[in-house]
Amino acid sequence: MAARRSSKGRDGAQPPEQASRDRHEFVAEAEEILERMTGDLSLLDEQRREGGEVDPDLVNRVFRSAHSLKGLAGMFGLDAISQLAHHLEDILDGLRLGRIPLESPAVDLLEAGGGLLGGLLDHIEHGSDTTEEDVLSVQAFIERIDAAMRAPAEPARDALEEIALDASFLRALTEYEEHRLRENLRRGRHLVLVHASFGIDHFEEGLAELTSVLRESGEVVSTLPTPGASPESEIRFSLLVGTEVEADRLRGQVEGHAAEVEWVGRRGEPVPDTAPAAETSSDAGPPIGASAQARPLEDHTAREAPAAHTDHTAREAPAAHTDHTATEVPAAHADSSSIESLRSISDTVRVDIRKLDELMNLVGELVIQRNAVGTLANRLSANLQTARVGAELGKIHKALDRKLKELQAGVLDVRMVPLRQVFEKLARVVRRLRRDLGKDVALEFSGADTELDKLIVEQLIDPLVHIVRNAFDHAIESPEERVVAGKPSRGTLRIGASQRGNHVVIEVSDDGRGMRVDAIRARAVARGLVGADETLTRKEVMNLVFEAGLSTAESVSETSGRGVGMDVVRANLAELGGMVDLVSEAGRGTTVTITLPITLAIIQALIVGVGDERFALPLNAVLETMRVDPEQIGRSEGREILDLRGEPLALRRLGEEFEIPCASRGEAQFVVVLGMGEQRLGLLVDRLEGQQDTVIKPIKGPYQQLRGITGATEYGDHGAILVVDVSAVIGDALRRREAA
Amino acid sequence: MLARVFASGGTTLQRILIVEDSATMRSLLASSLEGLETPVKIVEAESGFEALRLLPRESFDLVVTDINMPDINGLELVSFIKNNPQYAAIPLVIVSTEGSDRDRDKGLGLGADAYVVKPFDPEQLRRVVVDLLSARDGADAPSGR
Repeated sequence: MAARRSSKGRDGAQPPEQASRDRHEFVAEAEEILERMTGDLSLLDEQRREGGEVDPDLVNRVFRSAHSLKGLAGMFGLDAISQLAHHLEDILDGLRLGRIPLESPAVDLLEAGGGLLGGLLDHIEHGSDTTEEDVLSVQAFIERIDAAMRAPAEPARDALEEIALDASFLRALTEYEEHRLRENLRRGRHLVLVHASFGIDHFEEGLAELTSVLRESGEVVSTLPTPGASPESEIRFSLLVGTEVEADRLRGQVEGHAAEVEWVGRRGEPVPDTAPAAETSSDAGPPIGASAQARPLEDHTAREAPAAHTDHTAREAPAAHTDHTATEVPAAHADSSSIESLRSISDTVRVDIRKLDELMNLVGELVIQRNAVGTLANRLSANLQTARVGAELGKIHKALDRKLKELQAGVLDVRMVPLRQVFEKLARVVRRLRRDLGKDVALEFSGADTELDKLIVEQLIDPLVHIVRNAFDHAIESPEERVVAGKPSRGTLRIGASQRGNHVVIEVSDDGRGMRVDAIRARAVARGLVGADETLTRKEVMNLVFEAGLSTAESVSETSGRGVGMDVVRANLAELGGMVDLVSEAGRGTTVTITLPITLAIIQALIVGVGDERFALPLNAVLETMRVDPEQIGRSEGREILDLRGEPLALRRLGEEFEIPCASRGEAQFVVVLGMGEQRLGLLVDRLEGQQDTVIKPIKGPYQQLRGITGATEYGDHGAILVVDVSAVIGDALRRREAA
Repeated sequence: MLARVFASGGTTLQRILIVEDSATMRSLLASSLEGLETPVKIVEAESGFEALRLLPRESFDLVVTDINMPDINGLELVSFIKNNPQYAAIPLVIVSTEGSDRDRDKGLGLGADAYVVKPFDPEQLRRVVVDLLSARDGADAPSGR
C-alpha cells in the first residue's frame, strides 16, 4: 500500500543505546505523524460540517496517529507529549467506537491538542527539553479534556453473538473492527464474506482493486488473510463486508476479480433452501437473512427464489433502518448480468437546485394550464348545449388535477431538506463565538428533522446567524454577571424548529438579560418612531426592535456586525414570506420566533375582489373569513376594529391600501382574518372569489418595488392579478397606528 | 524490507521479522534485538501486507508485530500465521500500546506467545525473545532452509 519509506541508512555498528536516544529521528517522524493528523482532523471537521457521514476510516486514521505518537514519545521518555497524545487518543477511541458524539467539544479539544503537540515538538527539535511551562500547559489541557469527557462510557449491546460467523474470524477483529461490525448491523446492512485468492507477490494490487469495488456499496470491516490453495505461492483473503446491496448484485460487481461472495446470516435462522422457494423470499425480511452455516449464495436465494421478489423484500428491510438516501430511489433489479455490474452502484443523484427550480416552474405553468382547463370546463358545463362536453372536460380536468398534485408533491418533496444543516452551521458559529467572547453558553437544538424548501433554508442562515450572534453578544451576560443575578454561570441558547400546518416555526431563546419594555419604548420615542403618548401593547413595543434605527445595540461589536440589525433580519425573512416576533422579559431572557412558509414554489391562494380589482392572498396566512355588516365595525383610537369572539381585531381596508374605489362603507363586506406568527389583522374586501393554486412570479420593471405586493399570478380568464404580501401589510398596519 | 545481520557470537543465525508501521518504532525494536547473544538477522516490514509477502521468502524463527496498523491489523496477521501449518510454529510476540486489554487477550487467544507493552523496556523484550527462541531451539532446531 503505502510506498516504502527509504532506508535511513542506519548501520548495524551503531550502539543500540545511542540509537534509542536519537531524538532527531523521533522529531522527524512525530512531526510527520502530527502533520497527517492535523490534515485528517480538518478533513474530518469538513465532512462533519457538510452534515454528511464522517468516514469511519478517517476517524480511525486520526486515532492511529495519536496512538503512534503516544507510543513513540513514551519510548523516548517524553512524558508530556506521551500523556497528551494518550488523552487525545482516548477522545479518538471514544469517537471511533461511537461512545463520544463527533461534535464539539471533542473536535475543539482535538484541534487544540494538535496545536499544543506542535508546540511541544518545536521545543524538542530546538534542543530544549520540555519546560515546566510546557508540563503545566499539558496538565491544564488534560484537565480540560477530563472535564469535558466525563460522560460515562456505555457498553454496547452485543449484536455480534447473533451473527453466524466463524469464531476464528471474530477472534481476529480488533475492538474497533468489532465496533464497525456492530455499526453495520445496526444500520441493517447485509453482511457478506468475500473470498479471493491472489499470487503472493502481487496480492496487494488485486486486493486494493477488490476493496475499492466493495467500498462503493459498503464498508470493508476486516481483511483476514488465510493460507491459499498452494500456500507457497498463493494467499487467500476473506473480506468481511457490510453492504447496502443484495449479495447477488454484489457478486455481479466483483465479477472479474475472481472473488466468491458468501452470505453471512444470523444464528437460529432457518436455512433457506430447506424451505419452499416462495417462503424463502419472504424469510428474507431481516436484512441479514440466510443460512446458519454460511454458504455460497447461488445455492439458494439467487436461483431458487424469484430474483425480483427476493430483491424487493430484502431491499425494503434495510430502508427502515438506514439513512434513506441510498435506498429510497428504487434500484434497478438485481440482475447479475455483467452490464449491470459495470454501472455505478450509487442510487442517489445530486441535483443542482436551479434544475429543480426549472422543474418547479414547469409544474407551475402546468398548474396554470390546468386552471384554464377547469375554467373552460365550468363555462361549457354552464351552457346547456355544451354541458356534455363540459362534463367530459371536467373529468379530464379532475384526472389532470390529481396527477398534477402528485407531480407537484413529488417535486416539492425533492426540494425539502431538514433544518439540520442550518443547525450545524449555527453550532459552528456558536463554537467560534464561545472562543472569541469567552462566554460559556450551552447550545440546545430540537426539531433538526423539520423540513423546509432548500431555497428557504439557504436564505435562512444569515438571519438566524444574526439572531444567534445577538443573543451571544448582547443578551447573554458574562459568567460573573450571571452569578450575581443568581443564574447558573453558563448561559443556554435553545434553537427549536417545528412544523405547524403549512408553516415552520423556528424559535431561538436565550436565558440572558432580556429587554425592558420601558427602555425600548423610551428609545423608540427618542428616535421618533412612536409618539410619547401613544398606547402600545407590550408585544407591540417588543416588536419595535425590528424597526430600522432602533434595532442595534448601542455598542457596535465585532460579533453582531456593524449596524446591521434586526430590521434587516425582518426584511430578509419577509422576502421569504416569513415573519419574526420577539418576546422578552427583563432578567429572564428573550425568545425570537420565526414563522416561515414551507415552500415558496407553489402556494394556495384566496382570490378576493375589491371594486373591479382582484387580489390573491396566500392561503397559508388566512386564518378565517367572515361576512360583516357595517354596524359590527367599531372604532378604537382612530382605528377600525372588529370584535372577534371577544378579542379586538384591527381592520384594514384592502381597497384603501391600494387606493382602489370600492364598495361604500354602508354595504356588507367580507373580513379575511390574516395571521402571521403572533400577529393578526382583519382585511376588509368586497368579495371572496375562490381558491386556487398559484405560482408567484416576480414583477419586473417599475412596479417591482411596490410595497405590499410580492408578485403576480395568473387567474383564469382574468389575466394577471397581484399577490398581496401579507407580512408587509400586517407590519405596516401595526406601524401606522394613527392612520385614518 | 530492511535486513541486517549481527554476528556477535553464537553459532546459529536467528531470523526475526519485525512488523511495525512506525519507522522509528521499528528501529527501536531492531536495536533492542541487536543486543542478543546469538547472531540475528532482522527483517523489517512496515505493514501487515509486507509481512505476508516476506513470510514465504525466509524461514523465520520469530515474529514481532504491532497491532494497530493500516491494511491488515496485527491480530489478523497472528491469525494468519497460527492457522497456516507452514508458519504455525513460529513464536510470535505482540508489542502494542497499553490500555487495550481486549486486544491483548485476543492476541494471546489467537496463539501469540507473548505480549509486550509499549513503551517497552528493551531488556524485557530481549528476555522474552531469548526465552522463546531457546524454547524453540529445544523443541526443533531451526531448519535454516
